[in-house]
Amino acid sequence: MDSQAAEITTRSKSRIASELVRILGPGAVISAEDELVAYESDGLTGYRVKPLFVVLPSSTEDVSRVVALCNREKVPFVPRGAGTGLSGGALPSREGIVISLSKMNRILDVDIPNRVVVAEPGVVNISVTEAVSAEGFYYAPDPSSQIVCTIGGNVAENSGGVHCLKYGVTTNHVLGVEMVLPDGDIVTIGGPTPESFGYDLLSLVVGSEGLLGIVTKVFLRIIKKPQMVKTLLASFERIEDAGASVSAIISSGVIPAGMEIMDNLSINAVESTVGAGYPTDAGAILLVELDGPGAEVSVQVPAVSRILRENGAVEIKLAADESERQLFWKGRKSAFAAMGKISPGYYVQDGVIPRSSLARVLGEIGELSKRYGLRVANVFHAGDGNLHPLVLYDPGVEGESEKAEELSGEILRACVDAGGSITGEHGVGFDKKRFLPLMFNEQEIDTMNLVRCAFDEEGLCNPGKVFPTPRTCVEPGMHKHGSETSPAKEMGELF
Amino acid sequence: MSYIKELCRMVSGFHVPGSGDTDPGVPELRFSPKIILYPETVEEVSSVMGFASQSGIRVFPFAGASKLFLGNPVIAPVVALSLGRLRRMLFHEPSDMVSTVECGMEVREFQKAVGRENQLFPVDPPCLASGATVGGLVSTNLCGPMSTRYGTCRELILGAKAVRADGEVINLGGKVVKNVAGYDIPKLMTGSLGTLCVLVEATFRLYPHQPCSTTLVLGFHNHVSCSRAARAVLAADIVPTCFEILDERLSSEFEVASGAKRSILLRFDSFEEAVAEQIKQVRDITSEQTSSFVKMNDERSCKLWDSAREFPFSRKAAFSSKLALPITASIEFLSDIESNSALSGVEVRCLVRPARGVALVSVVAPDEEAVAASVFLQDLVDSLRGRIMFSGIRPELVGRVKAWGDFGESLTLMKGIKKRFDPADILHGEKIFPVG
Repeated sequence: MDSQAAEITTRSKSRIASELVRILGPGAVISAEDELVAYESDGLTGYRVKPLFVVLPSSTEDVSRVVALCNREKVPFVPRGAGTGLSGGALPSREGIVISLSKMNRILDVDIPNRVVVAEPGVVNISVTEAVSAEGFYYAPDPSSQIVCTIGGNVAENSGGVHCLKYGVTTNHVLGVEMVLPDGDIVTIGGPTPESFGYDLLSLVVGSEGLLGIVTKVFLRIIKKPQMVKTLLASFERIEDAGASVSAIISSGVIPAGMEIMDNLSINAVESTVGAGYPTDAGAILLVELDGPGAEVSVQVPAVSRILRENGAVEIKLAADESERQLFWKGRKSAFAAMGKISPGYYVQDGVIPRSSLARVLGEIGELSKRYGLRVANVFHAGDGNLHPLVLYDPGVEGESEKAEELSGEILRACVDAGGSITGEHGVGFDKKRFLPLMFNEQEIDTMNLVRCAFDEEGLCNPGKVFPTPRTCVEPGMHKHGSETSPAKEMGELF
Repeated sequence: MSYIKELCRMVSGFHVPGSGDTDPGVPELRFSPKIILYPETVEEVSSVMGFASQSGIRVFPFAGASKLFLGNPVIAPVVALSLGRLRRMLFHEPSDMVSTVECGMEVREFQKAVGRENQLFPVDPPCLASGATVGGLVSTNLCGPMSTRYGTCRELILGAKAVRADGEVINLGGKVVKNVAGYDIPKLMTGSLGTLCVLVEATFRLYPHQPCSTTLVLGFHNHVSCSRAARAVLAADIVPTCFEILDERLSSEFEVASGAKRSILLRFDSFEEAVAEQIKQVRDITSEQTSSFVKMNDERSCKLWDSAREFPFSRKAAFSSKLALPITASIEFLSDIESNSALSGVEVRCLVRPARGVALVSVVAPDEEAVAASVFLQDLVDSLRGRIMFSGIRPELVGRVKAWGDFGESLTLMKGIKKRFDPADILHGEKIFPVG
């Protein structure tokens, strides 16, 4: 930070603090250095930046007044949910304010007949299902962090989960939002109806990674629980055979609710922590969940079992009851955390490939693992080709974390080369913005910037994320590179 | 007009109306362009748009021209840009269930092509038989009965290649079913009526073809029975592909349930056993309400779904409208409009797609009564927290019946997006944003 910026910050800081306290009250403004530490990073803890302040608004109006102040004072602001994101999307701006939505955690309306739940952004994902479960409904997007992550964060990242193969991701389950625009204005986009007209602004807001404004209310579509759910656990000697089974199942006309593959390393990590009943000698396991009308599932279970056997399944286990089914899924959902048991450090990657490239890309990951001398555990949403390779490393060994990061980047390149994407559900955030040009050229990234400029001309809302180089909004249809903020100023500190 | 010559040099084919040259088969456009261009490559489209942008020439892209009745009338553009010669399937990987097609390809042709691999592009928009193209499908986001199960093309589009108003060619989204890299601009293009970019290619997710399909037609003597049955179907453990409610007129005209005040149409697509079980469930839960219960899986069912798909846009009417409502309001909508005196003397037909909260209405009436009916519908939708659009508005009523209802607080943002993508408004913004 240069001296002029430091001087401006010092002079402005107390005035801004006073204004924030006036708007929200003293209990909702955090400025003590030791308390700010908790907000220095999100789930991707490698990047840390201490914000000027953290504020905890309780209402849309609070958010609006804080954002209007930021706009007036030209202070960047970063919205934050539970901070479970894995791309550094909630990394603070050094000169900015973090707006934590954790106090806005009420479910405002449950409308079963119309299949809509209206929730504030701080509501935890699983709470939505809990609110409607007794009525036989649920909220479909189920990221692994669903017992902690919040709806606001899910909207920002367009979160998926293990069941999105059949039911889609967050964008397929959000009917509308109320949001505070970067100038403080409050707007409602969409609403309680399943369809709408005009430009599909909602598709821009969902997955916008907090760059277009702050969502303060979400209209969520809930769906009926399926009549029957059956989960199969198939073990294979080779992970390639598990991958081939996935394509064969879908080609047969069956769309399972979810299909997840874990390799031997992941299986053993999970078994040593959760004890999910996975076969520890298997090269890979494939979890297949089938749901729907009872008659349909009853036909699908033997059909899928036959396909699994034809593709080399050594053993197929049908979850005997709901508790065993939950155990199978507990193992899968604990996979990331379980890595702590077998490695002092790990780097979670999130890339997507076409299903048809599964065997080839897994082979390439294996080669990369050998070349870098680092173990890679593979856990992935196989049905939609969403890989989550976990690069294991020891932060205590000098240079190993950098090597792990480099290897992770190579995996992303392999995904893009295969016709895939650099992210399927974790978002671009701060961490992956340097990889965005692997997928898009300058004109395409400029086109995305047109969207951002339509919402946030000043570039104050979650700056330094998604776009690989800073872009301003000089005039409609035009752009200017590199003059908004120097890369050094917006960079987080990489530990 | 030197720019006409300049434009002609840029493309493989063109037609200058009134010049005596051979018309390559231009459809009815509802306006009179100075020139119609027929590019054969994306590069040609890019050249045209780059030139048009620099020269401030207004361009109207089209392909099948089958849905020009949507939105406000266009203000005579100079150039009509046909995408009809960009009609190839570029990519289809059956094991990924993903396909990329050029936007001039007809939807039916696309469906046949993927059908050869036993796959399904599950969108059945109106005008399918009259040449609806993939580009038109995306730009209008219109859908048909199958949207009950599969949603609209918004749910299926994964990526898009487009030419911006300034001529830049952009590829956004991707070819994988899960992708959150950058803003979802392909979805933004759905329903934008071509006012933001010229869409040239689109990539879609496909579904597996289901081995068995059966249609049910349930007849009812009154609205209350029908409403009860509709709610029971919604609450049941079944997954219909299509689910529609017809009013008395349509029940009669579609020849589905003679003498019925209402009818419900359902279609199930799955394994044979699963279809049979779901039909049994429907019979069980609606038996006390129905006056007739007919199962069909022959020619008649195809004809029936064709009629449902084309309604209301194939009709000669004062106007048609599509309403987006909360689910419960859509079920009661038929009763709401029948019981209201504002519509007395007006010939109304209505089809409801309850799982989508959609009501489709056709109004046949003299001018004054038609205007009154449009006001009534708008007020009713407002009271139900819904949205409405009017289309196929009779020329005499244009201006009195507005194409779009209230966009609410979204309007300013929509205008902001339009201004960023097409600052000089060469892409007929008036289709969505009325002039003045």
